[in-house]
Amino acid sequence: MNARYDIAIIGTGPAGLEAAINAKIRNKNIIIFGSEDLSSKISKAAKVNNFLGLYNITGIQLKNSFAEHIAAMGIGIVNEKINNVYAMGDYFALMVNEKSYEAKAIILATGIEYTKPLIGEEEFLGKGVGYCATCDAPLYKGKTVVIVGYNKKSVEETNYVSELSEKTYFIPMYKGEYNLNQNVEIVNHKPLKIVGNDVVTKIILDQGEIVTDGVFMLRDSVSPSQLVPGIEIENGHIKVNRDMKTNIEGCYAAGDCTGTPYQYMKSAGEGLVAALSAVSYVDKLHDNK
Amino acid sequence: MIKEVNDINFNEEIANSDNIVVVDFWAPWCGPCKMLSPVIEELANEMGKNVKFAKINVDESPIIASTYKISSIPTVMVFNKDSVKETLVGFRPKAELKKVIEKNL
Repeated sequence: MNARYDIAIIGTGPAGLEAAINAKIRNKNIIIFGSEDLSSKISKAAKVNNFLGLYNITGIQLKNSFAEHIAAMGIGIVNEKINNVYAMGDYFALMVNEKSYEAKAIILATGIEYTKPLIGEEEFLGKGVGYCATCDAPLYKGKTVVIVGYNKKSVEETNYVSELSEKTYFIPMYKGEYNLNQNVEIVNHKPLKIVGNDVVTKIILDQGEIVTDGVFMLRDSVSPSQLVPGIEIENGHIKVNRDMKTNIEGCYAAGDCTGTPYQYMKSAGEGLVAALSAVSYVDKLHDNK
Repeated sequence: MIKEVNDINFNEEIANSDNIVVVDFWAPWCGPCKMLSPVIEELANEMGKNVKFAKINVDESPIIASTYKISSIPTVMVFNKDSVKETLVGFRPKAELKKVIEKNL
């Protein structure tokens, strides 16, 4: 069995990093997922003047001081993308494709970068709209499926679906070579909305429409409600209380993903609070055992 | 205890049941279904007195799957006789499932 971490942090922006250093100071066994670049938004900032103690610096300088800080504390970043987090009761399962990690508490610090859903996408979720083509493909045996693909991985999934479905359409949302099976029809039009009655009947494009039984949306970055099934969202952000607690026991959130203002100091502050809340949750779990 | 239900015994086990029935639609090839099944098991242990729990393998029960328009799994439905009271698509945490079931007691 996998080792179960005390706290798993998803995201390496200021919220995630501040959470990591505080959980580490409290001597918790942590894991943090993200990228070596920490956050693409920080590197893009031309000038930062509202981060207390670090005046008149560029985003890259700020990023470098963050990187030095976590390195000095022995915090290593795991460069893997978490697809789903399942609340199993007294622990969380974090899925990376076929692999999984376990943690007693989680902190979501994913920022806010996900693409807006199509009109009708959320309404028809589970009624013809899906996010995992390989999961649901056998349900579309002999039927028509449209796949809206945002990345290379969606091509693989499309090929798999095309072996089962009667007719497969692929709508690419990125530029590149698409290594698709011969029986897949590529449609180079922008999807606008998904329509139907009880279930999906068609997808409307900027030019024309496709009559279909199912639509799979295969994106790079996922919204919090896809990432953590069951999490409560309010006005497009993860709903938290003053302790940065979400509606799921043991699950905390910090930074831009919880709402505006989108600022470094606010994110870091929330990351700190989330970490301390997670620490006391984990300690309580131990006391109960 | 979780009852295995299929096209043949659906009426006997679900439509004619005195209790409400929580049905987990699943298939062996579905990853999130594997994560959900221990959660359903825990709920069955806790709530099994007043609620019946059942699972339907959609591969083996194509009639039921198409009758109830299952287009994504896992899907959890709460049945009262042959009418569907609740439909939850995708993995859900235990606390949320419990709340939805209790609402229908």
